[in-house]
Amino acid sequence: MKFQLKRLYFQIILFFTANLGAVGLKTGFCYPFLYCQACPSATSACPLRALENSVYKQSFEWRFLVYPLLIIGFFGITTGRAICGWACPIGLLQRGTGRVARKVKKHPIAQKLGKYRAEKYLRYTKYMMLIVFVFLTSLLIGFIFTDICPVGMLVGTFPILILNPGKFVPNYFFPVALVIFILFMALIFIIERGWCRYFCPVGALLGPFNKVSMLNIQVNTKECTHCNICSNICPMGIDVPNMHRDPECILCGKCVTECPKKYITFERT
Amino acid sequence: MKKSFVLQIAALLIVSGLFVGMLFATNVYEDTQSRIVEVLCLSCIKLEPKTIKEFTFNTVDNAPHPYFVTENLTKGPVFLDYSEDVCAGCEIMFPIIKQLFNIEFGKQDMFSETVTFDHANITFIYVNLDHTIDALENSFFLYDKDGIDGLPMFTIVTLGYDHGIVRPYYTTLYGTLNVPTDANRASLLREILLESIEMYHQNKAGYHPH
Repeated sequence: MKFQLKRLYFQIILFFTANLGAVGLKTGFCYPFLYCQACPSATSACPLRALENSVYKQSFEWRFLVYPLLIIGFFGITTGRAICGWACPIGLLQRGTGRVARKVKKHPIAQKLGKYRAEKYLRYTKYMMLIVFVFLTSLLIGFIFTDICPVGMLVGTFPILILNPGKFVPNYFFPVALVIFILFMALIFIIERGWCRYFCPVGALLGPFNKVSMLNIQVNTKECTHCNICSNICPMGIDVPNMHRDPECILCGKCVTECPKKYITFERT
Repeated sequence: MKKSFVLQIAALLIVSGLFVGMLFATNVYEDTQSRIVEVLCLSCIKLEPKTIKEFTFNTVDNAPHPYFVTENLTKGPVFLDYSEDVCAGCEIMFPIIKQLFNIEFGKQDMFSETVTFDHANITFIYVNLDHTIDALENSFFLYDKDGIDGLPMFTIVTLGYDHGIVRPYYTTLYGTLNVPTDANRASLLREILLESIEMYHQNKAGYHPH
């Protein structure tokens, strides 16, 4: 079976695993990826919600700070950011929209924009999102990322509205969250894995683990001919031949399967 | 064996050990389940339930009313304010409730007081689900008449006449009550409280808690 097809099956299985709440399984674990506990079929809690709970208005509940970090830490040390490429349901969604985004990428305007040096700095936005909207605003003014999260809108708000027709009406956060949701949808159709690249706070938590994870992707730089097939196929837009344990790498393995000389490999170090 | 691999294994063992330790030594699993997964923060889902202020005799699954409610009903209607720590809707309602009953309490307190409202006694019980006891927490599910599972939630229990028997009669409101301003919210609560007081006066003579 083709490697990418295996990954797709794995993502689909994990999507169902994340939604076992539909059959009554509601656990006290946190997901190691971004998924909303408000989803009617959610099995576990969003790690961001637990983190927000830990600092909300200077409440400092250390358990809710350490608990999701340990779960993310476990997966981070073992597989790095592979969670984003193999398990996250939003990653699966972006895999679907990636086909459109790849077509957009070939447009001259998109190619011109992609050459701007600022692009790589934009990737730090997700770290800012994590620090500012998950921790700082929660700590100082009680405003939490969850209140405007586009993923919560997608898997929580809309399914609740559909499953309970006439029972709910939008509240004061709805208009803002709707605008953010529309931008989110536009983003993932325009830029492949745009959410993971620039905005995902859970990606920001997992990214640094790529530097120390057991599983990683290695490029044989001595033999590499720099044909750039790997970079062109990379959904995260990484310069693959020059990467070494890049925090952006989601270990999807596309570069591994596409390299004609097989100079790119999964390594366990 | 490579040094980095040893460090990775050591880090993994530490993380796993701490995680298992937390699961056994603290209530974090139960708290995550009950505080985050099973109970919705209504502001987080960006929705408000449509408030239906009709009173009913039927609790969820027709469970009996808790002891603390039936006992306090001998004094007057009972107002239950359900809240949690991290909830924008609860933050909005918190000052309105305090002003309405002219009381002062902390967000994380377990608070109960008999207050005078329009010359009637009302037992006000504040239930922060993150800091409460089982009996009070269970009552949240009992009075969730519309099956919302969301916070904030307000239950007003009074007395009603049901086929020859005087029984607890209640209504539950959710979120920020689906009205736009604080004044509207206070006014809606006041209106329901006055209605509940009137019903209480009509039926209190026939009420026997047990």
